[in-house]
Amino acid sequence: MSEHETDLLGAYVLGVLDRGEQTAVQAHLDGCPHCRREVDDLRGMEAALGEIPPEAFLDGPPPDGDFLLQNTLREVRRISAREVRRNRALVAAAAVVAVVVALGAGAVVGRGTADTPVAAGPAVPGSRTGAGLDAGTGVSMSATVRPAAGWVRVSATVTGVPAGEQCRLFVVARDGSREPAGSWLASPSGSTTLDGAALMAPAEVAAVQAETYAGQILVAVPI
Amino acid sequence: MKSRGRADEVLLRRVFEEHGAALLAYASRLAGDRARGQAIAREALVAAWRDPEVLVGPARTRLFALVRELVGAGPATDIALLGAMETLAPEERDVLRALYFQGRDVAEAAESLGVPAGAVKTRSYHALRRLREAVAAG
Repeated sequence: MSEHETDLLGAYVLGVLDRGEQTAVQAHLDGCPHCRREVDDLRGMEAALGEIPPEAFLDGPPPDGDFLLQNTLREVRRISAREVRRNRALVAAAAVVAVVVALGAGAVVGRGTADTPVAAGPAVPGSRTGAGLDAGTGVSMSATVRPAAGWVRVSATVTGVPAGEQCRLFVVARDGSREPAGSWLASPSGSTTLDGAALMAPAEVAAVQAETYAGQILVAVPI
Repeated sequence: MKSRGRADEVLLRRVFEEHGAALLAYASRLAGDRARGQAIAREALVAAWRDPEVLVGPARTRLFALVRELVGAGPATDIALLGAMETLAPEERDVLRALYFQGRDVAEAAESLGVPAGAVKTRSYHALRRLREAVAAG
């Protein structure tokens, strides 16, 4: 080791080189103040490693972690539901606004469909579709997101929701934020198709999600 | 735009995918058993869901701090170091874990991680350097 082979110094400090390399680095250090200083610095960090909880080095989900995840999601839904009950009046008021907005959007789409049927027409370039079934709720959904200029149109068919359930549709962004895209009352036929829209940049859309007004997620479909 | 408020379940799942193993292991050790660790880890995740700001920046360091709080342990002395750990690339953390905590040598670490021995040496050096710089900066 005649040149500064600094790449070896980390392993040297940790004492994990093989005997030959360890000796070679040692010999180099004897004649190289620059590398000796580097080694002193690194030894400080090696000692500091002992202060770090070893768990900090783990990545990924825990093995057999599904219990914890489900447990956490249940807790979060319970809290949401409790708060929705408390804020029901507020939610009802917001729902009225949402319906008015939806009707407004519907009118615009209605005019557009006279020339070019949006729902049945050929896919807009960049349209993305997802489908899925939630084994827990038994609800399935297929959803298509069509890009507009800085926002998206959403078409979804949701099947398996008990008749009479008040439902909402959301688009979920990559950062976890979400925007409402519509609301409906589950029909006795068991399947509802709806068209909505949401102010979310098309590239940001990660999922479409149906849930009840009580905050229970019925099904979430990655897009 | 309105304030986003709480995190979505999607975010919660992502946090779990990234930090779940570390969080549960840490909570279990501090709490003394896995069942209590599960409960503590769950509460820490729920707290993060209530206040997603927790997850901006060094998310794992904040989650660990939440666990300590919930367990009733005092504040950690190693917060700056923990934050520095989060600036490492996952493959650098892997190398440090193998060499330091699992007591493997270069050849063993290379085999267990499935990378050349040269990569183990380089990464261990860069990881220590990066830690030192992050601690100095913090």
